[in-house]
Amino acid sequence: MIGDQQRKVMSEQEEKGQTSRAVLSTVLVARDSILVTTCHTRSSYAFTPSTTTTMEPSYRIVPGNQTKSASIQGTANSLGLHDTLRHGPRSLAAEVQTEGGLKGRLENWEATQDNAKLTLRRNIYGMHAPMRLLMERKIVSQTSPFVSAMSPSNLHLDILMGRDETIEPADIFLGMENGPSLDIHEQLRK
Amino acid sequence: MTSLGADTRATEGPIVADKNCEKIHHITESIRCCGAGTAADTEFTTALISSNMELHALSTGSKPRVVTAMTMLKQMLFRYQGQVGAALVLGGVDATGPHLFTIHPHGSTDKLPYVTMGSGSLAAMAVFESGWRANMEREDALNLVKAAISAGIFNDLGSGSNIDACIITASHTEMLRNVEMPNMRVQKERKYAFRRGTTAWKTENVRDLVVNEQITFVGGDAMDTT
Repeated sequence: MIGDQQRKVMSEQEEKGQTSRAVLSTVLVARDSILVTTCHTRSSYAFTPSTTTTMEPSYRIVPGNQTKSASIQGTANSLGLHDTLRHGPRSLAAEVQTEGGLKGRLENWEATQDNAKLTLRRNIYGMHAPMRLLMERKIVSQTSPFVSAMSPSNLHLDILMGRDETIEPADIFLGMENGPSLDIHEQLRK
Repeated sequence: MTSLGADTRATEGPIVADKNCEKIHHITESIRCCGAGTAADTEFTTALISSNMELHALSTGSKPRVVTAMTMLKQMLFRYQGQVGAALVLGGVDATGPHLFTIHPHGSTDKLPYVTMGSGSLAAMAVFESGWRANMEREDALNLVKAAISAGIFNDLGSGSNIDACIITASHTEMLRNVEMPNMRVQKERKYAFRRGTTAWKTENVRDLVVNEQITFVGGDAMDTT
């Protein structure tokens, strides 16, 4: 795993008693290649996902075209055809249509703008700046399992994200598609 | 000083849904917004931006500016890619002076000395183009706005009924609701109410629903607000 390689490199350098720029650049390169965003959205656009711990550096202000949900590259077998035994029947609709359009744009708006700001901070102040902000957000969004049953509002997170003094349609049209799950056992299990 | 004007017709296709609706929305005390396009979109968008402007003013502690409202509106409309059908004329007076902006549904804005939006915009703009001068007095400005809206009312099918106007100065705002009503309905020539005795009745029985009334005083002291 990339994380292990990072740690290995760092421990070697520490043994030698140096903290060289090579280590820093390794960390930067490794971070660049991490594309996984671990955001848990509770509903489509009622709550903006802001607990990503990594970011892909991008100056995009507006969300780009969403990737298609299925592609022949992912499901092709050695003969170049869609592998039905492994991946089920082929659905041309999934390969051609994207879910996106306006829905994807609205869902990803906050995250894309936020990403642009974090990228600028990174380029101006250094790698640590966005990481510190993401760390603070992650700390603040670790809520108790009983919160979502009562009122799913995180004031500290709102302040950190800069939305404590604005009203959005999400604040007015409360209500997620499923509603808050009243099953505490499910939440404790997570 | 900024003057805004609007007609009062809301249509649903070829049908007039509301003969006397209010199209001049309140953003802040000194900023108003005329909304053309989809009625729900303009009302909700202006209400949302009005709330956000109030919060913003409380947070900054200074009088809200027209450009702030314009920026909030244009960013929101751009985000929705024109699906929010709100074509707005935003005008007001703030600490930097009087301003007038127009915001299109896709999010583009213009800062102009005189603007028109909506289906009657061509008729109104024709009046503005021939009659507008810089630094007009209150009366002249109001008359010009009324003439422009009248042009829209009488020459465009999507506009009609009455004229609303709003004069915003640095010191106060004056909302002139129905300042002119050129389309009052004529009084009908006949009365269509039924005369007393049209329906024959045989017996009358009046029953008092209150059978027995007893007044009991309870407490009697002032409201307890602890």
